[in-house]
Amino acid sequence: MITIRRRYKDFDMVLFAMTFIILLIGLLAIHSATQSKGLVLSESYTLKQLTWLGVGILLLIITIRVSYHKFLDIAYMLYIANILLLVLVLVMGHVRLGAQRWFSIFGFAFQPSEFMKISLILALSSYVGQKKGAMDSLESLIIPTILMAIPFVLVLVQPDLGTALLLVPVFFAILLVGGAKPKYLIRMILLGLACMPVFWHFLRDYQKQRLLVFINPNADPLGAGYTIIQSKIAIGSGGLFGKGWLNGTQNQLNFIPERHTDFIFSVIGEEWGFLGALMLVLLFFLIVHRAFNIGNLTSDRYGKCIATGIAVLFGLQVIINIGMTIGLMPVVGIPLPLVSYGGSSLLTTLIAIGLLLNVGMRRSTF
Amino acid sequence: MRDRFLITTLSLLFILIIAGLFFNQVLLSGYYSKLSRNNSIRVIPISGTRGNIFDRTGRPLVTNRLSFDVAIIFQEIGDRRKLVNLLKRELGFSGAQIMSALEKAGNRPYEPVTIAEDIDKEKALALEESSFDVSGLIIETRSRRNYLYKHFGCHIFGYLGEVTANELETLKDYGYRMKDLIGRDGLEKYYESYLRGADGGIQVEVDSRGHQTRILGLKEPQSGQNLQLTIDMSLQLVCDKLLGDHKGAILVMDPRNGEILALASHPTFDPNTFVRSGTSQNRLKLLNDKVGRPMSNKAISGIYSPGSVFKIVTASAALEQKKITPYTRFFCSGSYNLGHTQFDCWKKGGHGPQNIVEGIMNSCNVFFYNTGRALGVDRLELYTRFFGYGKATGIDLTDEVKGIVPGKGWKRSHKKGAWYEGETLNYAIGQGYLSVTPIQVLNMISAIANNGNLVRPHLVRRVGANDLQNQKPKKIGLKDGTIREVRKGLFEAVNNESGTAKRSKPAGTIAAGKTGTAQNPQGRTHAWFCGFAPYNDPKLCLVVFLEHGGKGGLEPAEIARGLFEEARAGGYL
Repeated sequence: MITIRRRYKDFDMVLFAMTFIILLIGLLAIHSATQSKGLVLSESYTLKQLTWLGVGILLLIITIRVSYHKFLDIAYMLYIANILLLVLVLVMGHVRLGAQRWFSIFGFAFQPSEFMKISLILALSSYVGQKKGAMDSLESLIIPTILMAIPFVLVLVQPDLGTALLLVPVFFAILLVGGAKPKYLIRMILLGLACMPVFWHFLRDYQKQRLLVFINPNADPLGAGYTIIQSKIAIGSGGLFGKGWLNGTQNQLNFIPERHTDFIFSVIGEEWGFLGALMLVLLFFLIVHRAFNIGNLTSDRYGKCIATGIAVLFGLQVIINIGMTIGLMPVVGIPLPLVSYGGSSLLTTLIAIGLLLNVGMRRSTF
Repeated sequence: MRDRFLITTLSLLFILIIAGLFFNQVLLSGYYSKLSRNNSIRVIPISGTRGNIFDRTGRPLVTNRLSFDVAIIFQEIGDRRKLVNLLKRELGFSGAQIMSALEKAGNRPYEPVTIAEDIDKEKALALEESSFDVSGLIIETRSRRNYLYKHFGCHIFGYLGEVTANELETLKDYGYRMKDLIGRDGLEKYYESYLRGADGGIQVEVDSRGHQTRILGLKEPQSGQNLQLTIDMSLQLVCDKLLGDHKGAILVMDPRNGEILALASHPTFDPNTFVRSGTSQNRLKLLNDKVGRPMSNKAISGIYSPGSVFKIVTASAALEQKKITPYTRFFCSGSYNLGHTQFDCWKKGGHGPQNIVEGIMNSCNVFFYNTGRALGVDRLELYTRFFGYGKATGIDLTDEVKGIVPGKGWKRSHKKGAWYEGETLNYAIGQGYLSVTPIQVLNMISAIANNGNLVRPHLVRRVGANDLQNQKPKKIGLKDGTIREVRKGLFEAVNNESGTAKRSKPAGTIAAGKTGTAQNPQGRTHAWFCGFAPYNDPKLCLVVFLEHGGKGGLEPAEIARGLFEEARAGGYL
């Protein structure tokens, strides 16, 4: 009894509660996005998301109860298994002539690239943690770079530009708190930027198109540009107080494609207005803040790396997703964590939250 | 301390997002509200037209024409009765048809839903006039594929079909949308990525009554690239005429560079049948015809026994391997005994003593039984492959098949048995397990015409503004002497009074060739002819194949003569 109480003494109740509030907001938004007055739309999106949520909560409990060091022990195995799944998706995609990011299991799409984010954070943390204080040499950066580069390339060729680019800042953040010399990291970033023209060459046409549309939405009024303009109209017309739940006209009239997944925030922005949107953004920020806090409080180097990695991952996903709905970021296909419809993203985020809570409550044990 | 840097960076980004939201939702809220109230942005797609196809002389073969569709925007229907009356009067719709059309339109009330496709121009004009006072009805124009020669050349062009939901999943990244047409066969499929244009569109602001007030964005559609073929349409039409009601295929090619001048396969279909969306009786009939199989291109997808035309390979192999010389003679008594089995020549009384040239000229089976035995199955298999059998020729069409080149290994793995000597005898005269496509036979005769060089047959010489490079010919490695003897045999077959291919002898030029009559388990024999002209400087080679067409020396040889003469008239010889 005493041990249990002691273990949960440091349990971050605020983070936990925040997660569930956002999940609830997400379900309401998905329901609104997939229904429409007068027209019958599939109700199954909300139900499917609820099913995923059930599985997700189960995973959340598991990741909280099992010490995160158990996960670190098998970090490389998880990493390799995840890489194999990525390769498998590519091979299956090739057989089916074209791009494919997911497996279909019982009608549910399963996306290995989402889970790769966690596998990479665990693998990098495991490496950096083992190194103790010896991360300040240039040689010690070689293996982490390889660990990042393999999934980066595999995800990029899927092609999933957004997820691939997301892995990079997470990688740098973990190395930074892990003790790598900032001057080496800056050099790596500069080298990466210098390689951008080469990188551009390898992008598919439609990916280039999306990045160009970011600069000028009218360049492609049929595709990505149309979505951005419609999304801005939806969010902008929400005004200060919003049109009310289920009352967003922009969303109900089929104007925004992918409005239950990547563009879910435009539904929230329209129906809940600036005040609602601001509240959601602040909730997200609070989670990021708690995550950094957990990283700061723990004396365990492994735990610090995990918490920081997750904080950066989570924060950037929110910023990029909301940024693209209001035209501040290119449309790169990154879901809004805990809110967007989609099982793989939801499960990944819940596992990440579980790991955070895990690190937090065991901070005095290690 | 290091995480302070990260926290600060992320915090700044969050502030940026909040500022962006404030900007859009508070400062610009009025502007966006107005746009939203009028639900005022529409996208009108403009399809890029598909590339045209021309023959080698520049004659248009496949183009696009303007067509008219009738569509309804359910939300904008004003007087329903007026609309119903108009549809009844102008399009002859029945009550039930109108009900189902309205129901269809009601499912997607805010967009135009097509209810009648490709109507007459006069009707379209009449409707367009009436649609001023009947709101909700619009006439849409779009370009449709037009196969100018209908049935003729259908297997070269292929046809178009709508992308399926499954295909769309992977194709949407390449700009395909629902109801887009995609090449389903022939050049339309093979050159899809060149022929297809890129869609464009205009984005307009409309007021609450649906009138355009302002153009917000324009993306020009891009046309696909044109193809110029190696086909000569007048020669193609001759082939189609000569094939007539026969089932079979004709191929005509320039042996020097692999340019196909004509490719016909019968029975045919009209690709225009597939241009309209939805299903139709005619289309189902074509797709379900399992007997005539009009959709299949027999020239590249049909496999048959080659019969005696294959003796060209046997003869070449034996000369190359020095199993026979030009002076070797075998005596034909009318049959050949192997153990207790008797293998017959096609001529009852026998041909008497035969050398290689006479053997080819008379198509003497006994001569080739002897030759085949001397060669053995392994060498025969090797040379069969040298001549390009057993693999695709690489013509720029889809669905080319490889055929079967048998041998000891093949028999072990496919028939689970040992190779019999008797099978070697059948092999040598082009019977047995050996299965070939007409285009492979064309490849073989072209190699003989082109001094032992295999060229890659192709149909397209120019895509857009770019001439396609011919692939370098591949040497089989035959000696000059070998080719000379085989050619002499082919010359005699056509030009000698008693040659088996004498009916193919054209006026005005000297041809050489070989007939074939292939037995098959399905019924009447398949009839073949392959040949080239002029004899001294071959500029054209051809294959005529008639499925269950009887004897190669009769109809195919006569068709070939007609073709040689037409080609001469056309300036090819």
